[in-house]
Amino acid sequence: MVKFVLKRVGLALVTLWILSLIVFGAGQVLPGDPARAILGPLAAPSAVASLRHQLGLDRSLPSQYWSWISHFLQGHPGTSYQYQSAIGPLLISALGRSLKLAAVAFVLVVPPGIVCGVIAALNVGRPVDRIIGIVGLSATTVPEFVSGIILIIVFAVGLKWLPVSATAPSGSGFLTSLKYLILPAIPLTLILFGYISRMARAGTVEALDSDYARTATLKGLPRGVMIRRHVLRNSLLPTITVIATQTGYLIGGLVVVETLFRYQGIGSLVFNAAVNKDFPMLEAGVLTIGIIYMVVTLAADVIFSLLNPQIRVAAAE
Amino acid sequence: MNRGSKDLDRLRGGRSELESHYIDELVSGRLSRRAFLRRGSAIGISGPLLAAILAACGSSSSTSTSTGSASSGGTPTKGGTLRVACTTPAAAVNPLTIADAGGLCMLNQTGEFLIFDSNLKLALEPMLALSWSPNKDGSVWTFKLRQGVTFHDGSQMTADDVVYTFQELSDPKNASNALSTFAGVLTPAGVKSVDASTVEFQLEAPNGSFPYLVSSDNYNAIIVPKGTDYAKWQSTFVGTGAFKLSSYTQNVGAAFVANPAYWGPKPYLSSTQFKFYATQQPAILAFQGGDVDVLSQFVPAGATAVLNSPAYRLIKLESSIHRELSMRCDQAPFTDPRVRQAVALTLDRRGMVNALLSGDGTVANDYPFGPRFASTDTSVPQRTQDIAQAKQLLSAAGHPNGLRVILTTEVYQEIPELAQVIKADAAKAGIDINLKIETQAAYYGKATYGNSDWLDATMSLVDYGDRGVPNVFLEAPLASNGPWNAARFKNATYDGLVKKYVAALDLQTQRQMAGQIERLLLAQTPIVIPYWIDGLTASTPTVGGLNPTSISQLYLNTAYKS
Repeated sequence: MVKFVLKRVGLALVTLWILSLIVFGAGQVLPGDPARAILGPLAAPSAVASLRHQLGLDRSLPSQYWSWISHFLQGHPGTSYQYQSAIGPLLISALGRSLKLAAVAFVLVVPPGIVCGVIAALNVGRPVDRIIGIVGLSATTVPEFVSGIILIIVFAVGLKWLPVSATAPSGSGFLTSLKYLILPAIPLTLILFGYISRMARAGTVEALDSDYARTATLKGLPRGVMIRRHVLRNSLLPTITVIATQTGYLIGGLVVVETLFRYQGIGSLVFNAAVNKDFPMLEAGVLTIGIIYMVVTLAADVIFSLLNPQIRVAAAE
Repeated sequence: MNRGSKDLDRLRGGRSELESHYIDELVSGRLSRRAFLRRGSAIGISGPLLAAILAACGSSSSTSTSTGSASSGGTPTKGGTLRVACTTPAAAVNPLTIADAGGLCMLNQTGEFLIFDSNLKLALEPMLALSWSPNKDGSVWTFKLRQGVTFHDGSQMTADDVVYTFQELSDPKNASNALSTFAGVLTPAGVKSVDASTVEFQLEAPNGSFPYLVSSDNYNAIIVPKGTDYAKWQSTFVGTGAFKLSSYTQNVGAAFVANPAYWGPKPYLSSTQFKFYATQQPAILAFQGGDVDVLSQFVPAGATAVLNSPAYRLIKLESSIHRELSMRCDQAPFTDPRVRQAVALTLDRRGMVNALLSGDGTVANDYPFGPRFASTDTSVPQRTQDIAQAKQLLSAAGHPNGLRVILTTEVYQEIPELAQVIKADAAKAGIDINLKIETQAAYYGKATYGNSDWLDATMSLVDYGDRGVPNVFLEAPLASNGPWNAARFKNATYDGLVKKYVAALDLQTQRQMAGQIERLLLAQTPIVIPYWIDGLTASTPTVGGLNPTSISQLYLNTAYKS
């Protein structure tokens, strides 16, 4: 098991390093210039040249990359070009907010998604199954900016039940912060619900159809016990993987929701960094999201292998 | 009237030649009251004197300045927190480098200028300078500073601080955004302190509009304490304003509290709170949902819910914000001025203002003189849509069957829609325009010739922000050596006229030059300006005393919630 985890961590580090190279390379291909982005299109060329020098952009590309990565490896993510301040605190506070929103969305979507998927599987072909399937699919196709605006207009501007923005006043307690996060979490829930319930349904249908389920039924186990002990344990394995792969989206991919609900998360931070060619911020942001993604998928694989001994054996060989 | 002219003679006593000239202009009716206020304040006639002169001429100044109370919202009450929706500052709040709407709105919360260019009153108002005056040819300007002003760090403001500020702003070695304003006008060596409360600016060339260049128009020019490290300014926001920094959180918002040591009347509000929005739509939703009291500087596109609702108070500012369509005078098919004129004649400008700006704008006439500027010669006839004449010009220029061309532009506010309308209008005369709409980064590129679609495209449509005087609009995009001459317009007569216009101190000469420039540009048509856009600010009905400018600044000194 330890060998399995170590191997995965090593692979993850190599992946992150390649990711950092890709981000740096892609950043060079994108049009625009960080100094120009800061000073605006109408600034004098001499002002732009002077700012480029201050930011170190007049050095060669390998030297820019080397100075960034050597500082990064020593634990100094550096200074943002755009904000002229340390990246660490900016990134940590944005990440904190993103994790909070992701957690709320996670709690809102995972249990109902799994429960509905299992219910659909137990009623394959019946109206309940159809309804869950159609609702899930329809919800997935509604983009966040559509569902978000509708939610704001109905619940915040019209009924005034919930706040318009997701940012709670500073010093708010847990419950107040939670109240601010409900509205922005719903569009994410809508998008993920269909996906998770379909995976749970497919896994359950397959497990119900398996030999061990038939054996359990034939040996006279009550249906409830059979489902809990034999079916769910196996049927939820693919669902866990699916949920894990969605964490990248839930943490780093929420630019639209963050913009609409005035919530400064890591998604819009990275997006702005890309637009403004703020290379140190972009690298730090992308790598942070990458690390979280890899930790979560690694955790999912560990859970998976604990539940499924076949994988453990294969990995150790 | 007899009593009036006697009063006038008394007021004339001791006035300089230039000041007398403006009084003559007013008396003769060549200068409107508003224009007199604007021009008179520019050359340093004080507010009370301006009012007295207007009164002596039989017109009450109180009516002219009452536009300033456009934002009154009931009786002022003391205290309270005003919440404002503001565009997220695009970069660090650094007075030297800042250039975006959100950033300059932040600067003016704690920072003040020598002069405030008031859009509401259409006049320059003394801020940290009490008075200013030029020498005979306008090449040296002397500013008397206000006494007893303290910075938020407790230090006294003196001439040294003003000299430091302008030397940093005009130093070509610095990454200063004001360099494009000060190029050819001011160098660090030209800024001198005469005594503790007097600063002298020795210019590189005579400039009749110099006060505008040190006013709030030049948004970078807030006065900071000598020795300020501009890069670290955003951690303190040290200025001289009526509010001082309480907290600033990047991308999220900012809070300010009333400054008890403020030199002017103390503000009504005890604090202010700014919430940042990356785009306009969430800000409008927040305004509608009651999350903010003020929606600062928005555009009509997507704001109909606010514009059409009687539940909100609107402040409209006549501004010089505009769009400029340039045609490469050195590239086919635009080498022939008749082709350029034909394009201009296809446009239905009134229709554009109504459809794209919800009517909140003014039709423009293909030269950068508009209603915002007193020097505009309004006798030049407005160009209107004339498809028949456009077709005739095209045939005469050798394009009887029309022509095809690519229009390159940027994704910014209503510009993509404007490009569509231009394409549709031009098609009526047989001009087939293909659109190339790019992100702002791709469109502007390096913003130098050969490295920028904005400057290099055969036909290019760009945005220009508000200025108090048309100097930048006349020079940068149209002068032969201008840095943003996307039309590659090179005309020695034009260059000469602009030089004379910029140097002119008196309005009569300025307007004479303006008339010639206007006629020349209409004949040549290197650029098309379809309209001038109003600056819009909205608030809830209980808010009053707002003082916005058309470059996104928002002074809250006199703001209140009733």
